[in-house]
Amino acid sequence: MPRRTDPAISAYNNMDIENMPKEKQTVKSTGLLGRPSKSSEGSMDFNNPTIRAAKQLEAIRKYRNEINDTTS
Amino acid sequence: MTRLAEESSFDRPVPGMALTAELGGRPWQNPPQYTNIDEVLDFYVDRMSSEEFIDQAVDILEMGVPVTMLANTMQLANVMEGLHTVDTGTLALPVIMEMLMMLGDSANIEYTSGLDNPSTLSSKNPTRKSLVAKAASRYKDVLDEADFEPSEDADEEELDEEEEEVIEPSGLMARRG
Repeated sequence: MPRRTDPAISAYNNMDIENMPKEKQTVKSTGLLGRPSKSSEGSMDFNNPTIRAAKQLEAIRKYRNEINDTTS
Repeated sequence: MTRLAEESSFDRPVPGMALTAELGGRPWQNPPQYTNIDEVLDFYVDRMSSEEFIDQAVDILEMGVPVTMLANTMQLANVMEGLHTVDTGTLALPVIMEMLMMLGDSANIEYTSGLDNPSTLSSKNPTRKSLVAKAASRYKDVLDEADFEPSEDADEEELDEEEEEVIEPSGLMARRG
């Protein structure tokens, strides 16, 4: 497969997990009159399959980095 | 060319013959087994964690097959088997690649990721050693390190063994001393 059209390379390079929006801790309101939480911009949308794949990738990358740190 | 000429023209596949199979007769024409990315990733992570897979993958990576190519092949093979769609497979590709690279790192082998530009790679490492060349160089190192000078004890033992090995005649008519 030519390098330019290889989906693996573009998919891997486009998975920018370092600059992924961070997961925000939402504080639940206890009262009935509390404001409903809005999905603010920049937070993670777990309905997006790319985000879910990126979370898995992040976990494996972290483990891989640990392996490389211990071996080097 | 000669082979084509030998074959009867009536036995060759007709153009478009590949499209004549019954619709739904192929695995990829049916609904996939794993429908969303979570199921697909679970399938790959489970499968790639097995010892049998790890051994095979490490062998393949050590042979110099790029990670990208291996990940693509795995993903496409599973699409053809009807396990998942091309879309979910493409989404899972980075995770498959990362898993393969993690296996390579944990096995402490040299592998090609396939992400680097081949032109820069060739200037860095002009020739990649084949497995045979690697084995030969390792064997040479072992030979260089090995100490072939016989020790004095070993000489004495050999002499004793030679003395003991006196062949006695075994035939019925042979003279005995």
